[in-house]
Amino acid sequence: MTTPAIQLTSVRKDFGSHRVLKDVTLTVPTGETFAFLGRNAAGKTTTIRMLLGLLKPSEAPGEAGGSGGSVRVLGIDPAVHPLTIRGRVGYLAEDQQMYGWMRVEQMIRFMAPFYPTWDHDLAKDYLKRFDLPAWTKIRHLSKGQNVRLGLLLALAHRPELVILDDPALGLDPIMRKEFNRDLITHLQGEGRTVFYSSHLLYEVEPIADTVAILHNGVIVKQAGTEALREQVKRIVLPKQDYDRLETPAGLLDLAQRNGEAAITLEDPGEVIASLQASGTSYRVVDLNLDEIFEAYVAGDTESKQVEETV
Amino acid sequence: MFIRIEKASGVPISRQIADQVRAQVMSGAVLAGHKMPSIRELARELAVNQNTVLRVYEKLTAEGLLDRRHGDGTYVGVRPKTAKLRGQRQQFKDELSQLVRRGQMLGHDAGQLHELLEAVIVKQASTPISTTTTENKP
Repeated sequence: MTTPAIQLTSVRKDFGSHRVLKDVTLTVPTGETFAFLGRNAAGKTTTIRMLLGLLKPSEAPGEAGGSGGSVRVLGIDPAVHPLTIRGRVGYLAEDQQMYGWMRVEQMIRFMAPFYPTWDHDLAKDYLKRFDLPAWTKIRHLSKGQNVRLGLLLALAHRPELVILDDPALGLDPIMRKEFNRDLITHLQGEGRTVFYSSHLLYEVEPIADTVAILHNGVIVKQAGTEALREQVKRIVLPKQDYDRLETPAGLLDLAQRNGEAAITLEDPGEVIASLQASGTSYRVVDLNLDEIFEAYVAGDTESKQVEETV
Repeated sequence: MFIRIEKASGVPISRQIADQVRAQVMSGAVLAGHKMPSIRELARELAVNQNTVLRVYEKLTAEGLLDRRHGDGTYVGVRPKTAKLRGQRQQFKDELSQLVRRGQMLGHDAGQLHELLEAVIVKQASTPISTTTTENKP
């Protein structure tokens, strides 16, 4: 078995008394495009900083297990060998700050010495392919050019793993699509592993092999993008029929209105089979990724009654 | 071949692509022997994961709609044998039962449902959906 590109096991992180990550376990196989989803402040950037060796998991003295879990990136502990990791990983920060007074070409020459494997011909090639003006000062670049320059700087040392922290933030729809195309051609096409954090789900869905959802400090779901669509469904049925049902396993959300109950659940096969067997009338609704995400991070399984205002 | 992806739709992206390719091949809009875009090209054009396009091509090849020639490319195949369409037939049946159930919820009885279905069939028969159904024209 090959070493996964990223392996987090029971990772925990506290800031003071605030526990940001409780128990994060995830595996990113080599060559995959992995979408890391979570609400704002869910701990996505904290996780990424650990992957880069900028933060260490918190110790938990006195608790079962004791340690704060383990982080392995390309088989290495980034907290122990941060420079090795940064040499083999490309990173595009959420709101990367670059020296505005530098020209694009100067910035590239400034970055190169930090990386032993920097490929200057490749950098020049990206400059052309990303349509970047070499002699323009960085502060005069558009937002889209800025992100593409960031991507160039993250890729020119031929990293095995690329970590993108909400890269499409602030790009217009056309630039986002262009960015995704670059990702598909220059990263997926070359078999590199991509770890992509975002909260724009509909942007991520077309390009991700796997989706993981971080919520309340734990990974509440990790699944193949298409498999996730198959696994989570909403079933709408008459309320009295729902009340006769035992609370189904894997229930994520329950809403009731107008005498109907809508249940959103994982692996609905069993429930559907029992509804069919009892002759209950029901309908199965396919959900989009946004709705699935919402069910996991904001789902309410208490028997909430939506008041109808007439 | 034109393919359009609807983001944030309830229909998974691979199914959106597969359905559109299938519809265009079945209706004769794209003829047997037509060369499909490569997986890379289509993935880039649609801004969709290459593995997704690969899975679609593999699925449609298994259905006999496409013909992947190793080292050459992917071509539109000759018409698929009906046996290969069993999956779609089953899906159609499922959709139809859901539709019937909704009709019953609206208070239509069996007779009314038959009438409605008959009317739809008569109407459809007089409108050609593709070159292959022109013989139904009056």
